Amino acid sequence: MNTKDTNKITTPILVMNDVSKAYPGVQALRRVNLKVLPGEIHGLVGKNGAGKSTLMAVLMGITEPNEGTIEVDGKVFTSMNSKEAINAGIAYVPQHVAMMDSLTVAENILAGELPKNKFGFIDWKKVNLEAEERLKRLNLQLDVTKKVEGLGVAEQTMLAISKALFGNAKLIILDEPTASLSRSDINRLFNFVKSLRDQGVAFVYISHHLEEVFEICDRVTVMRDGRVVDTKYVKDIGIPELVMMMVGEGVEEYTRDSTCTDEIVFVLNNLTRRGYYEDIKLELKKGEIVGLTGLQGCGSEQLGKGLFGLEYRGIGEVKIHGEEFTAMRPIDSFNQGLAYLPQDRYRYGLVGVRPVRENVTYPILNRLVRLINLINRNEEKKIVADYIEGLDIITPNQEQPVRLLSGGNQQKVVFAKLASTKPTVLILHEPTQGVDVRAKMDIFRIIDELAKQGVATVVISSEIRELIGICDRILVMNSGKLTHEYMKGAKDTTPENILTAIEGGIKNHE
Amino acid sequence: MKTRASSFFAIILDNLIWILVLAGLAIFSALSPSFRSPANLVNTLYRSASLGMLVIGQAFAMISGNFDLSSESGLGLTAMVAGLLLATTINGGLGLELSPIYAILIMIAVGLAIGLVNGFLVTKMRMNNLIVTIAMQMILRGLIYIISPGATASFFPKGFSFLGGGTLIKIPLEKGFLPIPYASVFIILAFIIAHIITRYTQFGRNLYAVGSNPVAAKDAGIETDKLIRRVYLISGFCMAIGGWLIAGRLDSATPRIGAGLIFPVQAAAVIGGVSLFGGRGTMIGAFGGLLLWSILDSGLSIMEVSPFWIEASRGLLLLFAVGLDAIKVKGMRRQALEETLAITQVGLKDEKVVTD
Amino acid sequence: MNNLKKIDWMKLLLDNFIWLIVAGVYLYFASNIGGKFSTILNQINILSHAAVLGILVIGQAIVLLTGNFDLSAEGVLSLTTIFAMWLMVEPRKDAGGAMASGLMLHPFIVIPIILILGMLSGWLIGTLITRLKMNNFIVTLAMQLVLRGIAMLISNGQIMTGSPTLFNWLGGKRINGFPVAVGVTLIMYLVVNYLLNHSKFGRELRAVGANRDAAQASGFDPKKTITFAYIISGFMAAFAGWMLLGRLETSISTLGQGMTLETVAASVIGGVSLKGGLGSVGGAFAGVMLLSIIDNGLNLMNVDPFWVQGIRGMIILLALLLEAQKFRYKPKVIHDDVIIATEKTQA
Repeated sequence: MNTKDTNKITTPILVMNDVSKAYPGVQALRRVNLKVLPGEIHGLVGKNGAGKSTLMAVLMGITEPNEGTIEVDGKVFTSMNSKEAINAGIAYVPQHVAMMDSLTVAENILAGELPKNKFGFIDWKKVNLEAEERLKRLNLQLDVTKKVEGLGVAEQTMLAISKALFGNAKLIILDEPTASLSRSDINRLFNFVKSLRDQGVAFVYISHHLEEVFEICDRVTVMRDGRVVDTKYVKDIGIPELVMMMVGEGVEEYTRDSTCTDEIVFVLNNLTRRGYYEDIKLELKKGEIVGLTGLQGCGSEQLGKGLFGLEYRGIGEVKIHGEEFTAMRPIDSFNQGLAYLPQDRYRYGLVGVRPVRENVTYPILNRLVRLINLINRNEEKKIVADYIEGLDIITPNQEQPVRLLSGGNQQKVVFAKLASTKPTVLILHEPTQGVDVRAKMDIFRIIDELAKQGVATVVISSEIRELIGICDRILVMNSGKLTHEYMKGAKDTTPENILTAIEGGIKNHE
Repeated sequence: MKTRASSFFAIILDNLIWILVLAGLAIFSALSPSFRSPANLVNTLYRSASLGMLVIGQAFAMISGNFDLSSESGLGLTAMVAGLLLATTINGGLGLELSPIYAILIMIAVGLAIGLVNGFLVTKMRMNNLIVTIAMQMILRGLIYIISPGATASFFPKGFSFLGGGTLIKIPLEKGFLPIPYASVFIILAFIIAHIITRYTQFGRNLYAVGSNPVAAKDAGIETDKLIRRVYLISGFCMAIGGWLIAGRLDSATPRIGAGLIFPVQAAAVIGGVSLFGGRGTMIGAFGGLLLWSILDSGLSIMEVSPFWIEASRGLLLLFAVGLDAIKVKGMRRQALEETLAITQVGLKDEKVVTD
Repeated sequence: MNNLKKIDWMKLLLDNFIWLIVAGVYLYFASNIGGKFSTILNQINILSHAAVLGILVIGQAIVLLTGNFDLSAEGVLSLTTIFAMWLMVEPRKDAGGAMASGLMLHPFIVIPIILILGMLSGWLIGTLITRLKMNNFIVTLAMQLVLRGIAMLISNGQIMTGSPTLFNWLGGKRINGFPVAVGVTLIMYLVVNYLLNHSKFGRELRAVGANRDAAQASGFDPKKTITFAYIISGFMAAFAGWMLLGRLETSISTLGQGMTLETVAASVIGGVSLKGGLGSVGGAFAGVMLLSIIDNGLNLMNVDPFWVQGIRGMIILLALLLEAQKFRYKPKVIHDDVIIATEKTQA
């Protein structure tokens, strides 16, 4: 931020005043106050679930706040729809930009308003010239005649930003723009964004990469539990203080006694998958719960899916109970003793329109089948009833389509499904995501109970406090490698340290 | 950006249709002298003019990401309507002695009505466009039988049938004349106009935008629903003109007109580069597809191949075209992923680049 | 305990609502036409008419449950009838014009051959759709064309008559006036319906159709499931061909034209969702009965056959419209903010 500007009285381009938003069962935003100045890159940081996404959703007009006002360039709104937001000058650049892939760069920029000649027909020469002209104003070099699908991700992001600007955006929200970028790409992007800032454009920069926040932002706002903790000038603080603000005091989460034995049941040796992870070494013991955490894109998701068989696993050795783990597909994984709880349960976890009963028994149908493929309904009902009772699943009956259950109960159904396969190893991906507080406790109890029964569990999660509460040890993954390990009860096993390891860690870009 | 071998491959695929057209011309000309007579070559377009109109209509729809499988019945219906309106009672019509202009206008109105219904069902009722247009295809075919007079309606006034069947000019040759039919010239003009629309008008480019990514198109301010309704209207219009052409050429109307045309229409469009996935292809390419189709049809008939082989080969050609389309488009998307994996610094020990 | 009972009744009613409509339509015709409609002979007529379509619908419904379409069934039907005749019948110039092969194979050999042929077609389609990821609509449409083309090729567009009695047993035999075909169809429905509702495969079908990704993560192999569904459909189409040929004793290459949409319509009317995962074969049968009764009733009322086709088309469109409406009003589910955020970033 130019120092001479501090003398002028600058009217903020955006003021969010006491914005609150509640969803059934959860208070997503609590009286949030946010001010963004023109010609500023304003960072927005916070853990998953801190409220960043909801805040942006309100700002973009996707959802309405229960309380509070939004003031854009002087105009005050108590509620907005998307069109109004766009007209007010707010633009959103998502992580995966929506472009018309099969059309050229020029056409994407000028979509809907292609320049015409005096007969009313499109003048392609003018189209390309105009597009180049606009890009030049932003100091962006792109081949305007190239189809967008042929561009690299960095270029596509920059193009999306440019499009937003051409739509007269005054405030551009960048949501995790660097997730799939190389270092040189990031440099290009940052230079671009900085030059725009110098021209007076305001940015809200959402990111988990704290280093980057310090690199490019002028000020940063920290959110936690739906509240704004504080807003600071980047030059006035350092990463440790930032992390502390993100993590906060914290309530005592669920704690448990370790049920870890000495028997090693699951071994990963030099597991490598091109583009995602490298030399993963892991030994899991019976009854042990290991946490795995890292930023989005660190490779933990692919590792989980790869082990289960939903994706390509890569090369390297995997042994379960000393035997080679050969499963390449989910059904084989189940049979060999590995079960996986997906992060996106609507897409991968449950068949929404089918009843609870069916969802629980899908992987174990072979066990319930009598002659010619027929299922023993009675035995099935009994098993499902046991799980409904044991896991305290709230549902009117077994025939209820699962999509009508609450998030927490849906998750329990998935747990029931996995537990029924009697796994040796359980991989959980964000097990408490989208689950209300009460159900969360239930889920911890379920994980605890399973561990007591000897299941070796890997919990892939970004909820550091939760991991500290239930895990015997926590592994940090950075750009495909396991970089840190924190033991239960050790002095340095603190949320701050772990968060720093994740977000402030040295990144291995080119 | 980097030029890769695969984009060279993509260029070949894009222009494959012209390679095939030239190959087809060359092969059949070599195999059969009667094929390479100028009269036959001109005739090829003459016979497939009505099909060409349907190809135009379908191409418009496909570029925007939709299908119109009802066009063959729309063609038949408008042709039948013409038959009823224009033929005398002895010749199977209603004996109205209607001036051709009115008949043509009514045909166009029928075509537009079909397009209106299709567009409404797809955009307002949110029904799947494949199912709706297939259902319409059946219903309209039933309608044709209902209104058909039982006997074939034939012998239309010259003022009507000139477009489909008349001769524009006769080019003098060494021996005799080479007649150039109106239809051949007309269909070329039609494709040119269609090309101008899709390439040089805002509406045309909006088609591509919607077909490529409806969400991004909407963000750019394009009214997608309105556009789709317009597309179906255009398709309906093309059905009517196609009906005009075919009724003129056959100088009669039977209830079976158009039956089965959906396959060549689809195949010609797809093999001409108009992708099933939407947002790609040009009218020129579609014209190439039409040419290829006509050449195959003409060539195989002249060589007296069994009409049933021709039927079977139509299906095969469609399968081939669709397969190629799938490979091409999926290939582009795969390429992007491969590039990301190729430049990564993580996990280099693993040689495999997996894109599924 | 009482709560549970109440829900069961409602569900029972809604699931089988279509049968009420069938009953309603039946009563309408019975009261308006009276005598001619209510005879036993006419009941048999209705059922006979429904038999062949019914077999086809079994196959189509199964494919629909996986979220796909099979537009090739009528092509399989046509080809199997012609191929069977070609293999079995004595080549005679006066038999209708087409030249049979002269192999004159015994029906016991021919029947398995055509059934396998149907299954092969289904296997090929399933592979093209699941491995090459081609559009199921277009692939099955093109397949229909190819099969019909081959049928026309073999038959030269001519008819062949005189299928052997042994072969005609399925389609033509009557026991005490009651057609075997109807009996077989009814038994097939009962068996298939029961199997689909109580077997692992039935679960698999519905899971894959409703949510392919979740089905895979739950241990199923969607590629296998879908391919198998098409194989069954191919088998059913061939079986229907056997039945139809047995009844007509004549093969003609245009056989079955237009039946595809009827099979989809009957399924949709019967509650099979076009999105996959919901519905039953029993419901589809109700759809078949409805179409059959309407056909029969209108015919007896001397309605012009082309109007009948038009009305059928209208019913189809109506059924599709209702189906589309079902998905416009999705029940609001409790979403947490994280879900919305996740959805946004995935958009």
